[in-house]
Amino acid sequence: MSQINRLTQGGRIDRSKTLNFSFNGTSYTGFPGDTLASALLANGVDIVNRSFKYSRPRGIVAAGAEEPNAVVQLGSTEAAQVPNVRATQQALYQGLTAASTNGWPNVQNDVMGLLGKLGGKMMPPGFYYKTFMTPASMWMTYEKLIRKAAGLGRSPRENDPDIYDHMHRHCDVLVIGAGPAGLAAALAAGRSGARVIICDEQEEMGGSLLDSRDLINGQDPALWAAAAVAELLAMDEVLVLPRTTANGYHDHNFVTLHERRTEHLADTAPQINGQPQARARMHHIRAGQVILATGAHDRPVVYANNDVPGNMLASAVSTYIRRYGVVPGNKLVLTTSNDYGYRAALDWHEAGREVVAIVDARAKPDGDLVKAAREKGIRIITGSAVFEGKGSKRVSGARVARIDLDNFKLAGSVEDLVCDTIASSGGYSPVVHLAAHTGARPVWSDEAIGFLPGKVKGMTPVGSARAVYSLSAVLADAVEAGASAAAACGFESGGIELPQVQSATEGPACALFQVPHEKPTMRAPKQFVDQQNDVSAAAIELATREGFESIEHVKRYTAMGFGTDQGKLGNINGMAIAARCLGQTIPQTGTTVFRPNYTPITFGAIAGRHCRDLFDPERYTALHSWHLKRGAKFEDVGQWKRPWYFPIGNESMHDAVARECLAVREKVGILDASTLGKIDIQGKDAREFLGRIYTNKWEKLGVGKARYGLMCKDDGMVMDDGVTTCLAEDHFLMTTTTGGAAGILEWLELWHQTEWPELEVYFNTVTDHWATMTITGPRARDLLSEVTDIDLDKDNFKFMECREGQVAGVPARVYRISFTGELTYEINVQANYAMRVWEALFQHEAKYGLTPYGTETMHVLRAEKGFIIVGQDTDGSVTPEDLGMQWCVGYDKPFSWIGHRALTRPDTKRDDRKQLVGLKPVDPKVVLQEGAQIVRDPNQTIPMKMVGHVTSSYYSPVLNSGFALALVMGGHKRMGEKVYLPMADGKTHEAEIVSPIFFDPKGARQNV
Amino acid sequence: MSKVAIIDQCAGSDVRAESPMHHVKVPSVAANPGVVLEQKPFLGHMTLRGNSADDAFCAAIQQVLGVALPLQPSALVHDASGENSIQWISPDEWLIVVPGGREFEVETALHQAYSGHFAIVTVSGGQTLLTLSGPNALDVLHKSTVYDVHPRNFPVGKGITSNFAKATAIIRRPSEDVWELIVRRSFADYCYRWLVDASREYGVSVKV
Repeated sequence: MSQINRLTQGGRIDRSKTLNFSFNGTSYTGFPGDTLASALLANGVDIVNRSFKYSRPRGIVAAGAEEPNAVVQLGSTEAAQVPNVRATQQALYQGLTAASTNGWPNVQNDVMGLLGKLGGKMMPPGFYYKTFMTPASMWMTYEKLIRKAAGLGRSPRENDPDIYDHMHRHCDVLVIGAGPAGLAAALAAGRSGARVIICDEQEEMGGSLLDSRDLINGQDPALWAAAAVAELLAMDEVLVLPRTTANGYHDHNFVTLHERRTEHLADTAPQINGQPQARARMHHIRAGQVILATGAHDRPVVYANNDVPGNMLASAVSTYIRRYGVVPGNKLVLTTSNDYGYRAALDWHEAGREVVAIVDARAKPDGDLVKAAREKGIRIITGSAVFEGKGSKRVSGARVARIDLDNFKLAGSVEDLVCDTIASSGGYSPVVHLAAHTGARPVWSDEAIGFLPGKVKGMTPVGSARAVYSLSAVLADAVEAGASAAAACGFESGGIELPQVQSATEGPACALFQVPHEKPTMRAPKQFVDQQNDVSAAAIELATREGFESIEHVKRYTAMGFGTDQGKLGNINGMAIAARCLGQTIPQTGTTVFRPNYTPITFGAIAGRHCRDLFDPERYTALHSWHLKRGAKFEDVGQWKRPWYFPIGNESMHDAVARECLAVREKVGILDASTLGKIDIQGKDAREFLGRIYTNKWEKLGVGKARYGLMCKDDGMVMDDGVTTCLAEDHFLMTTTTGGAAGILEWLELWHQTEWPELEVYFNTVTDHWATMTITGPRARDLLSEVTDIDLDKDNFKFMECREGQVAGVPARVYRISFTGELTYEINVQANYAMRVWEALFQHEAKYGLTPYGTETMHVLRAEKGFIIVGQDTDGSVTPEDLGMQWCVGYDKPFSWIGHRALTRPDTKRDDRKQLVGLKPVDPKVVLQEGAQIVRDPNQTIPMKMVGHVTSSYYSPVLNSGFALALVMGGHKRMGEKVYLPMADGKTHEAEIVSPIFFDPKGARQNV
Repeated sequence: MSKVAIIDQCAGSDVRAESPMHHVKVPSVAANPGVVLEQKPFLGHMTLRGNSADDAFCAAIQQVLGVALPLQPSALVHDASGENSIQWISPDEWLIVVPGGREFEVETALHQAYSGHFAIVTVSGGQTLLTLSGPNALDVLHKSTVYDVHPRNFPVGKGITSNFAKATAIIRRPSEDVWELIVRRSFADYCYRWLVDASREYGVSVKV
């Protein structure tokens, strides 16, 4: 049988086309305009899931984002799997494939359900903690089984075929929600010329107007909604975003919107003109004003067995009938605390099915809708409520009695009604979630019997989001708010004529949360508060009895409002129950914190296009394509891709590095050093500034001369180093470490701007502008002489000097500085010419044995010379003296410098500080592990006293031995001592403390 | 001896130069592209630092470049030819863009015209200029930067520095329909790939 619950007419669906879909392996049909939920209800599918903890059969309760049960796994292929989709929010499309997230082997017959049936006594709150707490070592095992039993969907095991992206947008007024309030506010704001964005999470804009009994201008209010949307679409400065949920409301009116662009079409995004389109798009909105038109959720009533399929929200029943032409049952009992709940009974009656009774908690209801029900001859039982539903896989009856809410007990005889559907309405809960995201606590209103959004700067709630429910009042409220929001952004609205509204007048509601039962709450059949997390009234009562008095603790103990639900249906009832148990008011009890996201967002949308090869910028030097062609292996240094080494053929890294090292020591190597930070410093006080920022002296550095400098933080610890050259009297070029470049420029600006603004000096980054090629090795001079007009004579161009001239026909600055200990020239040219100069040098490759080398060889060569790398041999706790570099500290400089004071503290003068030394493994074949801990006595008991650690360690081809740099307590005075390095594999290495300079200790080779 | 070292860093037109986008792959041109992306390589870029409260400094700029130094935050001004521009970057920083090869002449002339405290630094090798146009240019910017690029907030004659995807860029609007992006050399490949990707759904035409 197909679509047994579908009406032959009515609803906003297109009956001319049939859509086929499958749910839990069974094929069904529906119509365009359906949601998966409305189509399932049309087909008479009662059980859509098993509950999270007790595995109870569950049916569809709601018609929107607040649905707790109909959470499904979507996708026809493995790659297209999407967990945690609410069937009530998923538009139906041809071929849609969905399955329940819980239930094993299936939702109809579930093994876990047996355990659930044994009931609450078996699984009280804290059940998992209490049962599986010991032994602690087994928790990882328990957890896997518990998770499998609990369900809640699964991630795809294959790559997502779809793409997602982000848009950053700004507007004057953001309107969240396109029901009557949102549309009216957007029109009022939009007509002023303000930039407006309006979003709505549903398939169709209009909200409650799509299933309302009211009339606007004497017509179906959906027509007014359609006209409003059309007008908004036609406005230049208005952006209309359908199928877009405002998921997070952050500080300063920054709101994240999740636009589902193709999920109503297919489970993977169709291509457009052969190009992929984003399946979902995250809009990052920065709004001047936010209008919160998020509406209200109907609040279910808490009574026994209120989770059996067939228990629904009254408003959802109306929505299914009026919007989708689906009556989700045959015999209805309505239990309500208010007039608007009556719409469900009237709609049900008009659809031609039986309304068994309306059970109204109020003694004397008398609004228009009540009268209309009486006129239709519908039985109304007043002063009463449904206190228990009957049935297990579908409602079979309702138990009704008079209630005494003051004393929380039943107050009369019980009547059993036969029905298959129980609709309940406990009143509306304004959707305060988004406002709460900002940290604004919701405020209780006795008048509204609900929480209202807290105050947020630049945010105005309108309509039912602030408990204004009558349509004419909603429209007036929204127009005023829309115009005011635009005015706050400097746009005057011409005003807007309010349409004529005909709606029923409503009588006052009463506060009804949990219905008392014949038995005490702890003994009655389960009365569910939060169906998604299986939290019952008894669980909340137990939590309060066990001493959890804060609502936040009650939440964590019971899991109420956790996860994807975020307390949409259950939290107000849960707070009311906790308040009753604690003998306090609801405002005293307060609310829990609703957090982003309002409904689940796919990770893809959060990542956007920042994935795969666009995940993070890769910074390239001007020579990158040469390195690629030469077969370089790359190392990530910050975001830079630096050549690591250049293997030839199948050469191993070890062999390649050994070859590169020997080439530099014996012939000549070349390194692309363009990534070094370079800062141009100009001004008459540049020299003075350098003296204050570096530890060493700069006042006497002559023009054309270069000097190594150390920089400390104000705590006296080394933060960066590099060579700075005096280009002219008031002009310097500072180099920094590759990783430090951006931070050091900020550091210089910080000190200049905040401490020494009187110094006349400017700093500008030229890192990307100059390409730097380092040629180093005994034949460097011969090589360079082939391509330059600079006088390279050793007496005319000395070590630590700079010259200008032509290299390969390109203007260049050449620096004689060395990080290898060999004769070295650093050639700097404007980066656009780098490739030409590099290739010109390589024309002499064969003649001089020119060998390109990468960062690994650079590391070995500098370590052989005992040159530190800041961040590798230092870690923010190392002073210049710890490094043995007191020669680089000018204690007697006239003006204090950064770190000076800290370096005179007793702590920085201790002689047992960790100090930089060399380590020579006794077995030359051993290459110590970087990070390995050092002890003096290998035979002591664990925990051993650790006296230092290895910072750099390599194999040296020229020494034919492993060697290392290390920080060792009091190391400078322990030359020649033996230390031990116990390793994780049980071996212990022995090493001798030596000078950190392993090669050419007198520095003769760089001075030739 | 000059107190500042100025050298002509240009090798002359017969020497091969490679722009930061020399190596990139250009996608085939879409029919009716919604986005047109073009590189203007080898322009002369200079960072200017100085004190705009000093009238002599402003006068020197005007004299050398034929454009008044913009004092309004984020202002971008061009000379009559449209080839020389100055953009306000921060209270004491401006970006000067001139035809490639003019940098040495401008630097030298400025130092002759003004002897007070200032700095001008050529950065032509370190960055490059792209133009973005076409009916969907704004959509691409929306995808790429958090800055508000709506015409009301971003009129012609404005230029800012902001984030661009996960890099930074100078974004400027020299005319009604054209946007300029100035990106750093080392980030150029990433920015280019990001732009082509963001433009794909609109159809893109690329010239580098």
